[in-house]
Amino acid sequence: MSPLRRFLRTPEAVTGAMLLAALIAMALSASLLFPGDPQAIAGPALLPPFQDWSLPLGTDRLGRDVLAELFHGARTSLAVGLAAAAAALVVGAVVGTLAGFAGGLVDEVLMRITDAFQTVPSFLLALAFVSVVGPSLGVVVIAIALGTWTGPARVARAEVLSIRERDYVAGARVIGMHPLAIAFREVLPNALPPVLAMSSVIVAAAILTEAALSFLGLGDPNRVTWGGMIAEGRAVLRTAPFLSIVPGIALVLTVLGVYLAGEGIVETTAVRRGLS
Amino acid sequence: MSGFTISRRTMLAGSAMLLASTAMPAPGWAQTPKRGGRLVLAADSEPRNLNPAIVASNGVFFISSKIVETLAEASFDGKDGLAPRLALSWEGAADGLSVTFKLRDGVKWHDGKPFTSADVAFSALQIWKPLQNLGRTVFKDLASVDTPDDLTAVFKFAKPTPFQLIRNALPALSSVVPKHIYEVGKIEDNPANNAPIGTGPFKFGEYKAGQYYRLTKNADYWGKDEPYLDEIIYQVLPDRTSAASALEAEEIQLAAFSAVPLADLDRISKVPGLKVISKGYEGLTYQLVVEINHRRKELADVKVRQAIAHAIDKDFVVKTVFLGYAATATGPVPKNDPQFYTADVPTYAFDVAKANALLDEAGYVRGADDNRFSLKLLPAPYFNETKQFGDYLRQALAAIGIDAQLVNNDSAAHIKAVYTDHAFDLAVGPPVFRGDPAISTTILVQSGIPDGVPFSNQGGYKNDALDALIAKASETLDTSARTDLYKEFQKEVATDLPLINVAEWSFISVARDTVGNIANNPRWAVSNWADTYLES
Repeated sequence: MSPLRRFLRTPEAVTGAMLLAALIAMALSASLLFPGDPQAIAGPALLPPFQDWSLPLGTDRLGRDVLAELFHGARTSLAVGLAAAAAALVVGAVVGTLAGFAGGLVDEVLMRITDAFQTVPSFLLALAFVSVVGPSLGVVVIAIALGTWTGPARVARAEVLSIRERDYVAGARVIGMHPLAIAFREVLPNALPPVLAMSSVIVAAAILTEAALSFLGLGDPNRVTWGGMIAEGRAVLRTAPFLSIVPGIALVLTVLGVYLAGEGIVETTAVRRGLS
Repeated sequence: MSGFTISRRTMLAGSAMLLASTAMPAPGWAQTPKRGGRLVLAADSEPRNLNPAIVASNGVFFISSKIVETLAEASFDGKDGLAPRLALSWEGAADGLSVTFKLRDGVKWHDGKPFTSADVAFSALQIWKPLQNLGRTVFKDLASVDTPDDLTAVFKFAKPTPFQLIRNALPALSSVVPKHIYEVGKIEDNPANNAPIGTGPFKFGEYKAGQYYRLTKNADYWGKDEPYLDEIIYQVLPDRTSAASALEAEEIQLAAFSAVPLADLDRISKVPGLKVISKGYEGLTYQLVVEINHRRKELADVKVRQAIAHAIDKDFVVKTVFLGYAATATGPVPKNDPQFYTADVPTYAFDVAKANALLDEAGYVRGADDNRFSLKLLPAPYFNETKQFGDYLRQALAAIGIDAQLVNNDSAAHIKAVYTDHAFDLAVGPPVFRGDPAISTTILVQSGIPDGVPFSNQGGYKNDALDALIAKASETLDTSARTDLYKEFQKEVATDLPLINVAEWSFISVARDTVGNIANNPRWAVSNWADTYLES
């Protein structure tokens, strides 16, 4: 059975993939369906959903189209989630490989730095970083990556420690390859699968952290974010709860989709490896 | 209907503030006050320094005005809008060089010592003039205070000082603290700053950080039969959404200073047993202002500033951001001010086409991306409404081809960015009008103010004519001549637009029906509450 088939037979994985596909479609179509600034004032303020079909999800406190904000918010969430996870995985993999392969003092120093980062709660670290540097999309990505690269670093190091004792690594040494070349060409690619398996969790966590930062007013104020929408709606929670509920549901479905799809991929590939 | 007198002031306030009159149940005017009881109310900030003589701000007054009293308090129907407190009368000399206060007899400090003119002299010379945020300007020429007897204090000024200014400053700036407590040691470090001792109807009880402030009844208070309440508890509720639920659950009986968000008022006014009151803040008007950094060459051009003024739909701001609980502004003095306001100033109607034409005329044409130029916009974080207006302003500027990038900061970082580092192009600020333009309004446009003074002209604006006008008004003694100068001042500001006044608003109280004598003076939330009572 091919991995794709196996993937398609797992209902959770299919659900996840569908949610993820919907999210990506939203993010990609945002500019086509809702051209112009999603924060532009489009109608009367606090219009409830399903009243006016030109504004199907109603408007917020200033009269901005909630559906347009939702679509453009998908873009921000996905962009931040993917960018932060990619940054965390790259940094983590590089640090882990260097530490594991070099050993000795380099390993000690790198791992103690990792420990130091791990002892600080990652959300607190992101919060502090954004408050000091000032909120913008790039800063938020770096802030989230700062707190999440340690997990991939530890997993990569553990993998590398076992791989570096393999015969083909010894072979590469014998033919005189540069140690860095061995580390990144021979060892790292083989250490990657377990590291990549963490990516779904990291992306989901990054999306949530971004939402939490925006909720606290530390997101990029010039972009629509779901966390920002929830925070904005909180002031009118009793009178217009849909303003918080709609982006809240979007956030839940996104995180769920990313997680389920990621799990599905990991499981199907794990089974394949187990069989072979 | 005893006690309900229609004055010009209440009429003005009523029409300007668009009272939610249908939502206001008739307060129990005819009832006789009951004695006893504990009033529990919401407090949203926890000031550490509670000395109102040093920190003259509403957050401090909210708590300490019940403990430490001023010479006079604002009043709806008193002469010159004042009612006596520690002073019974005040008289200004014709040459503007002295003001004589006759003080109340038989007043005791909370520690039992008598209150005398020496306390007034000490507070004025040692605290208001050198240390107080607002007193530094108003009392800058105060040279000495003579005390011919225990109940007379004569303020002597080195330069003629308008009596109108001193009078208007009394409610906010004249908190009297005891000399015998403050004369030892450094005033700023005195323990009484955190546990104030005053003459007021309530004594300071205790403060538990993050929980509550407790004030207890002063049995020796000078007011006959006052105070009515036994205790006041300020329950610390920093989350603005929790005040409404606390009121509904009867955990608190009062939420002042708009602790209940405006968006919730409509709903809460329908809850039986609760009343929404928009009176009692007429003397505490906040102004929604677009501060402008004139160092930016585009913004130094008056045509660009006029274009921005034309791009703002003030009615939309009042209706949508303030949900009607505000009034549109025409200039630097709010419409509800009975002494100085003039409507005879240039106005800027909402007109996007005209704004675009003005920008074209100024030579800033739209580029390939449809933008003329880019600006940094810093909305002050203190109020929900200032932040929301920032979002609106960004959209309003986009309509005229100005790309505004929002920068969000916390309070401390905002004050530093705008008033010290000048790292802004436009900022949204909420300055307070305190009954006289000379107290805290003229410094918003006056030149020559050192860097770092918050809520002052830090936009690099300099207009010699306006500076001369401000200087002349500050030494004009005749009340009507001085008032006319300030009318001219409003005209000049509205013409040259050193800043853009958008709206003026004040606060809303929500209380249970059982709380009596609410909102009976224009600074009610920060007055002494000697006559506030609870029906059982």
